[in-house]
Amino acid sequence: MDKISVRQICFLFLAMMPLTKLILYPATVSYWSANDLLLSAALNFVAEGAILALLLLLTKKTEKTFFDLLRSAFGKIGAKIVYGIFALYFAFSALLPVLEHKGFVLQILYENVPSILSFVPLFGVTFFACIKGFKTIGRTADLAMPIFLLSFLGLLFLSVMQADYSALLPIAAAPPKRLLQGSLFGLPWYGDSLCVLFFLGHFRNEKHTAKKILFSFGGGAVATLLFLATFYGIYADIAVKQQNALAHISKYTTAYTSLGRIDLFFVFALTLVSIFYLCVPLQLSVHCVRKIFDDCNPVFPSAALNLAFLVLVIVFNYSYLKIQTLYTQRLWWIYLIFCYALPALSLFLLLFRRKDKTLLRFEQTEETENKNAAERAPSLLQKKMNVSPKRAQKSPSVPKNNERGAS
Amino acid sequence: MRTDSFHISRRPLKSRTEVFKSGIPFDFLKIYILSVLEKIVILPHERGKVAQTCDVETNQKTKKKSEFSKNLQENIDAVKAILTAEDIFLFEFCCADKTAATVIYADGITDKELLGTLAARPLAQKNAPKTLEEAQKSLLFPETKTAQSLQQVCDEILSGNPALFIDSIPGAVILGTKKISLRAVMEPQTSITVKGPREGFIEDVKTNMGLIRKRLKSPALQFETLQVGRVSQSVVVIAYLDNIADKKIVKEVRKRIQAIDIDGIPDSSYIGQFLAKKPYSLFKQIGSTEKPDILCAKMLEGRIAILVDGSPIALTLPYLLSEDFQSPQDYFVSPYRATISRILRLFAVLVSLYLPSFYIAAQLFKLQLLPFGLLMTVSGGIQDIPLSPSLELFFLLVVLEILIEASVRMPKYVALALSVIGALVLGDTAVKAGLVSSPAIIIVALSGISAYTVPDLTGTLSVIRITFIVVAGSIGTYGILLLTALILWYLISSDSYGTPLLAPFSPLIPKDLSDSLWKTDIYDLNTRPAVLRGKNKFRLKIKNRGN
Amino acid sequence: MNKFWTRVFLLATAFLLLLFFSNDFGLIDIQKTSIVTAIGIDTSEQEGKIDVTAQIAIPSAGGNSSAGNVTIPAVSTIGEAIAEFNRKTGWYPTLVHCRLVILSETCADNDVFGFLDYFLRSEFVEDSCLVAACRGRADELLAAQTPVGELTSSAITKVLSSEAQKTGLVCVTNLRDFAKGYFSVSESGYLPVLSIKQEAESSGPDSSSSPVFACDKSGPIEKNETTVRRAAPAAETGFSAQPARTRNNFDRLRAPSFFFSPGIQYLPFRRWRPNRNPLPVSTASQSQNGPSEQASSDKKADIFDAAQTLLFYRGRRVEILTEEETLAFNLADTATDFAYGDVSVVENGAKVTYNLKIKISKKSQKLTFPNGKPVFTFTIRAHANVNDADQAFDVQKIARTSIVPPQVLRAAEAKLQTQLSNILQKIQQTNCDLFEMKIKLKRFYPKRYQSLQNSIFSDVQIKYDIKFDTMH
Repeated sequence: MDKISVRQICFLFLAMMPLTKLILYPATVSYWSANDLLLSAALNFVAEGAILALLLLLTKKTEKTFFDLLRSAFGKIGAKIVYGIFALYFAFSALLPVLEHKGFVLQILYENVPSILSFVPLFGVTFFACIKGFKTIGRTADLAMPIFLLSFLGLLFLSVMQADYSALLPIAAAPPKRLLQGSLFGLPWYGDSLCVLFFLGHFRNEKHTAKKILFSFGGGAVATLLFLATFYGIYADIAVKQQNALAHISKYTTAYTSLGRIDLFFVFALTLVSIFYLCVPLQLSVHCVRKIFDDCNPVFPSAALNLAFLVLVIVFNYSYLKIQTLYTQRLWWIYLIFCYALPALSLFLLLFRRKDKTLLRFEQTEETENKNAAERAPSLLQKKMNVSPKRAQKSPSVPKNNERGAS
Repeated sequence: MRTDSFHISRRPLKSRTEVFKSGIPFDFLKIYILSVLEKIVILPHERGKVAQTCDVETNQKTKKKSEFSKNLQENIDAVKAILTAEDIFLFEFCCADKTAATVIYADGITDKELLGTLAARPLAQKNAPKTLEEAQKSLLFPETKTAQSLQQVCDEILSGNPALFIDSIPGAVILGTKKISLRAVMEPQTSITVKGPREGFIEDVKTNMGLIRKRLKSPALQFETLQVGRVSQSVVVIAYLDNIADKKIVKEVRKRIQAIDIDGIPDSSYIGQFLAKKPYSLFKQIGSTEKPDILCAKMLEGRIAILVDGSPIALTLPYLLSEDFQSPQDYFVSPYRATISRILRLFAVLVSLYLPSFYIAAQLFKLQLLPFGLLMTVSGGIQDIPLSPSLELFFLLVVLEILIEASVRMPKYVALALSVIGALVLGDTAVKAGLVSSPAIIIVALSGISAYTVPDLTGTLSVIRITFIVVAGSIGTYGILLLTALILWYLISSDSYGTPLLAPFSPLIPKDLSDSLWKTDIYDLNTRPAVLRGKNKFRLKIKNRGN
Repeated sequence: MNKFWTRVFLLATAFLLLLFFSNDFGLIDIQKTSIVTAIGIDTSEQEGKIDVTAQIAIPSAGGNSSAGNVTIPAVSTIGEAIAEFNRKTGWYPTLVHCRLVILSETCADNDVFGFLDYFLRSEFVEDSCLVAACRGRADELLAAQTPVGELTSSAITKVLSSEAQKTGLVCVTNLRDFAKGYFSVSESGYLPVLSIKQEAESSGPDSSSSPVFACDKSGPIEKNETTVRRAAPAAETGFSAQPARTRNNFDRLRAPSFFFSPGIQYLPFRRWRPNRNPLPVSTASQSQNGPSEQASSDKKADIFDAAQTLLFYRGRRVEILTEEETLAFNLADTATDFAYGDVSVVENGAKVTYNLKIKISKKSQKLTFPNGKPVFTFTIRAHANVNDADQAFDVQKIARTSIVPPQVLRAAEAKLQTQLSNILQKIQQTNCDLFEMKIKLKRFYPKRYQSLQNSIFSDVQIKYDIKFDTMH
C-alpha cells in the first residue's frame, strides 16, 4: 500500500502548494482585486484552511481510506462511481495548471517562441510519475522542500528591496464584489486540501498531526501572501500585466550585476518543483482510476491520461486565455463543489462507522484467512496476489521498510 | 627415512575412452540430451529448473556410487572416473609397513613441498594407520579433514586440497595444502587516501576475511560461505555483524545468491548484478569498496558485505547514493573540513552534469543566462566555428571520453604521447584551426575533471552528462529540467534492499543527515543510520567526554 | 526492463538524437542573433513616424567587443522597426540584453508610451532597462565615442547607474518605474536628460550652448534608408559623418554657488581649465577595446551628462529640473545617500565658498491633515563635513576641517529649501506629481482623495523640517 508520512504532507503544503500561485495568479487576482489582492487570497486560504481542518478531523476519527469509507456508505459500486467522478475532476483540474505551466516555460525558459515540441516531453515525465504511487508524491515533497525554501527565499530576498509595500494601501478599498470575484475566480489555483481526503488511511495519525499539517498550510499561505504583497509592492498599478510573476520580481536587482540574471537559477529550481507539483493531480487521477478497476496496472490509465493531455495541450496551444476565462469565470463552481462542498460532506461518512466496523471485522477475518492460507500453501497466496511463482523466484520479495523508510 | 618408498606417478588419470567405458558417462549423455531437449522444447524460464533437476539426479547417482571402498585402487578409480583432466596427478607411496597410500592432487594449485614433507613423509616413516582419525593424527599438518563423499573429494582436489587414500581404509583425508600465490596487501589504485589506512583487499577471499577479522575482533562477526558457479565453484562469503545487521537482508541476500545458477563468477561485480533489484539501472544499487577499513566502517553501520574469491572488490548493501560522496578521509579531518569537502563534491558533480548542458541551452535558447560580458566573450569565441554549439560540445565530450578510455587501457609508456596528442593536437590546435572554441574546451575540461571528485559515480555521470547535452541541444533549458525531474523521480522510487537510494534526503531522515551532505562532530554520530534498520541503534556511548 | 519499455526507450532516444543532430527546426541560436544593447527613438521627418536606432554589440574573438548602430527610419512602431531590422540584416535582434532606451527630446512632445509600450508588452524584452531622454537626436548620442573606448550604451549605463543615483548625480529611472508612474493616479514621471558634454577636440570656452534643449541646433539628417553606423569605440563609419557639435561647454560644469556639481567627480571638473589642461578624455586613444585600438589621439571622445531631469505628465514632457533641483530632489526623495555641494557664506566681510560632503541620515515626506487641510512635510536629516573651501585657512582651521561652522550648515539648509520650493512651483504649474502627493493621498487618505485629487497641488501647504549637523 502506498504510504505517505505526515511530514511529507506538511512539506506538500509548505513547499509545493504556494508554487502554482506564483505565476499567473498574482496578475489575475490583481486584475479583480487590485491592491486588495491579499484580502482575496486570504479569503481563499481561510476557506481552504477550514476544509483542511474538517478533513483532519476526519483523519482523527478513522484510519480507513476514503475508498473504504465510501464503500462502507455506498457499497463498492457506489465508491467506484464517486472515485470515477473524482478521477475526472482531477484530470479536469490539472489542465489549467498544465497550460499555465506551458505558457510560463515557453516564455521564460526560451527567448524566441519555441515549438510545442519543447514542451511535449513533460508528458513522458508525468507518465513516469503517474505509474508510481503516493510514495513518490511524498518523496518528491521531501526533495522539494529544501529546493523551494532556498529558491523562494533567494527570490524574495532579491525582490524585497524593490518593493514599496505602501502600494497595498488603502486596505479594503476595492468594492466587495470585486474582492469576491477575486476569490471565486481564483479558485482554480486553490483546492490542494482535497489531496488529504485521498491520503486518508495512507498515513499514520501521529501526535499533533492536525496541528502540524495546519501549521504547514499556514506557512504555505503566508509564503504566498508574502509573495503577492511583494509582487504588488513592486508593480503596483502595472501588476495586471505582469504574467509569469515568479520570473520577474527579482530581475531588477540582478539585471545590472556582473553575474547577470543569477536569479534565473532560482526560477529554474522552482520550475523543477512545479513539475513535481503538476504531477500530483494527475497521479491522484490515476490513483482513482486504479481503484475503480481493482488496483489495475497503472501503466494503462497513466498512458491514456497523458496521451489525452498531450492532445489537449496541442489543441489548446493558442487558447490559454479562453481556457483560463472558462475555468475561472464560468466553471469556478466545479472547484467549489469538489474542493469545498464534497470534502465537507465527506464527514458524514463517519455516520456509517457501524457498518465500517463490520467491514473491519470482515477484513480482519479475510486477512487471517489469507495468512493461514499462505502458511499452508505459499503458491496460493502468490496466485492471489497476482505474483507468478516464476516472478517470485526471480525477484524475491525485498524486506519491507519500517515506517520511517517506507514513506 | 626411506625416500625410495616414494613413487610418484605423474600421469593423467584416465583417457576419454576409459571414462566412457565406465558407467558414469551415461550421466553426461543424459545431461547432454536433456540440454538439447531443453533448447528445443522447454520454455526459457524452465531451463534452469531442468538443469537443476539434472544436476540433482547426477549428484544422487554419484552419491549412490560413491561409497568409499577399502580397496585403494577402487577408490582411485572412482575419483579417476570423475576427474579426467590431465592436470590431476597421483602421488603413490608406501607406509613403513608397505601399505600403499596415494594422494590425488591437482597440479599447479597444490603445494607439493608441503604435501611431501608434512603429509607423506610422516606416513612413510610409520606403519599404516588403521582408521582415518589415526591417519589424521599421524600427519604433521593442522588443516586436515575427512571426506564425506567422493564428490567432496573431487571438489577439494579441484580447489587445491589433495585427497589422501590409504589401502584398507574406506575414506579419504583431505589435506589443506593448497598453494596460495598471493598479491601483497597494498593500497588500491582506485581508492587512494592522503590520511588513513592503506591496506586493500586482494584476490584471495581468506586473506580478505582475515583483514576484516583483524579489524572487527568480535564474536558477532559472521562469515557465511556459499559456492556459486557450476564450473568455477567460486567461494562467496556473506559477512555481517550479527548483533547489528538486519537479518532480513542477510536472508534475502543468501536467498538471491543461492538462486544464482551460472557457470562461473569471474568477479564480484557478477554477484552485484544478481543482487541488484534493477540490474539494468543506470545507478548503482550495490556499494563496493576495495579497502577493509571502509568495509568495516560500513558493516558497523549495519551493512552487509559480500566477498568473492578471486575479486579484490567487496560488495556492500544496502547502498545509499550519498555513500559515494563520502570519503574515508572525511572521518580523519575536522567536521568543518569534511563538510566543505562534501559540499564541494556535490557542487563538482552538479558542475560536471549541468555546466555543459546549460552552456548549450544558453547559447541556443536563453542568451540571458549569460551575463553580458561573458556573452560577448562566448559569442566572440564561437565566431566562425563550423559546428553548432551543441554539436561542438557533444563532439568534444566524445573526444574526452575516448581519451579517458584510451588512457585507462593504454600501456604506460605511451601515456606521455597521448597527453601531448590530447592536450596539444586535440586542444590547442583545434582551437587555432577554428574547429572548436576556447570556451567549449574549458567547459568540457572542467566538467570532465569535476566528475572525478566522486570516482564511484564517474561512469554514471558520464552517461547522464551526454544525455543532458543531447536534451539541452534538442529542447533547451526545459529539457534539462525535465530530465532532472525524471532522474530524481527514478531515484526516489528506487531502493536497495528496502533502503531508499536517496535516503536520508528522500525520504527525509533528519537524524541521518548528520553524516550525509554535511558531517557533524563524532559525538553527534552516536547512532547508526536509521535508514539501515540495524538492530543495535547506538554505536557511541557518551558517558563523559574525557574532560 | 521488458521488451516494451526497451522499445519505448529506444524510440525516445532516437527521437531525441534526431532533434539533436538536425537541430535546425527554426532555432535561433547565438550565431543567428544580434544582441541589441540599446534602443534610440527619434521622431522622423515623416509626420507621425519614428526613427529607431539599435545599438548592436559586435563580439570579437579576442573578447574585445565593439558596437554598431543600425537605424531604421520612418517606422510607425518599435515592433515594426525590429521586424524591419530582421528583414534587412538577416540577424534576429534579441533585446534581452537591451539595457537602455533613449528618447529624443522631440519624442517627448508626444505621449512617450506610444513608443514605450512595446517594451512593456513583450515577455522577451526586459522592463528593467533604463530609460532616458536626450538632447538632440538619440541616434547621434548612441554614435558618440566614449573616452575609455567601451560601448556607448555601457558608458551611458554607467552614467545612469545606481551608484550615480546614490551620489545624487542623476535621477535614474527604469522602464518599470516610469510605467508605474504613468499608469498610476499621478500619471507622472521623470527621465534623466542625457547630453554629450564634451568632445575632446572641439571643447573650449567658446563652444557654449544653450541650457535649453538643443535640438533646434542640429540640422536634419537625411535618412532615406537603413543606415548602419559603427558606434564607439569603433566609430570609423558613422561617427565621423555626423556634425561635430558641442552641446554644453565646460563652464556649465563649474560649480554654481549652491549644490552644483554634486558627486565625487566634481572636483577635477571644477578645477579644470581647458586652455591650460587638456581633458583627461583625450586619453581615449589608449582604449584597448576592439577596433578602437586603432583610434588615435585625434579621435573625438565624448563624455555624457545626465544632471538635468525632464518631468513628464501624462506621458509628455512638461518641465525640466536644473542640476541643482535634481540634486535637491535626490536629497529629498530618491535613493541618494550622500552628495557633495558648495555653500557660500560671508565671513569677515568676504564671501567664502565651502564644499560640503553631505551624508543623509533620514529623509521622508509626509502628507497630513492637521486642521483638515493638506500639509506636505519634508523631513531631511543630514550630516556634513567640510571637504574643501576656496580660501586659504590657517593650519588650526584645516585641522578642524570636519567641523562645519553653524552658519554654513544653516545656509545649506536654506538653499536646499529654496531648491525644493522651486521644484514645487514647477509641480504646481505642470501637475507633474514628482513627490507622489496624489498617490500618498489615495493610499493614506482615500476618503479625501475624491475631493482633493485635482487641487492637491494648489491646496497643499508645504513644511520643511531640514536639519544639517556637523559630522562628528
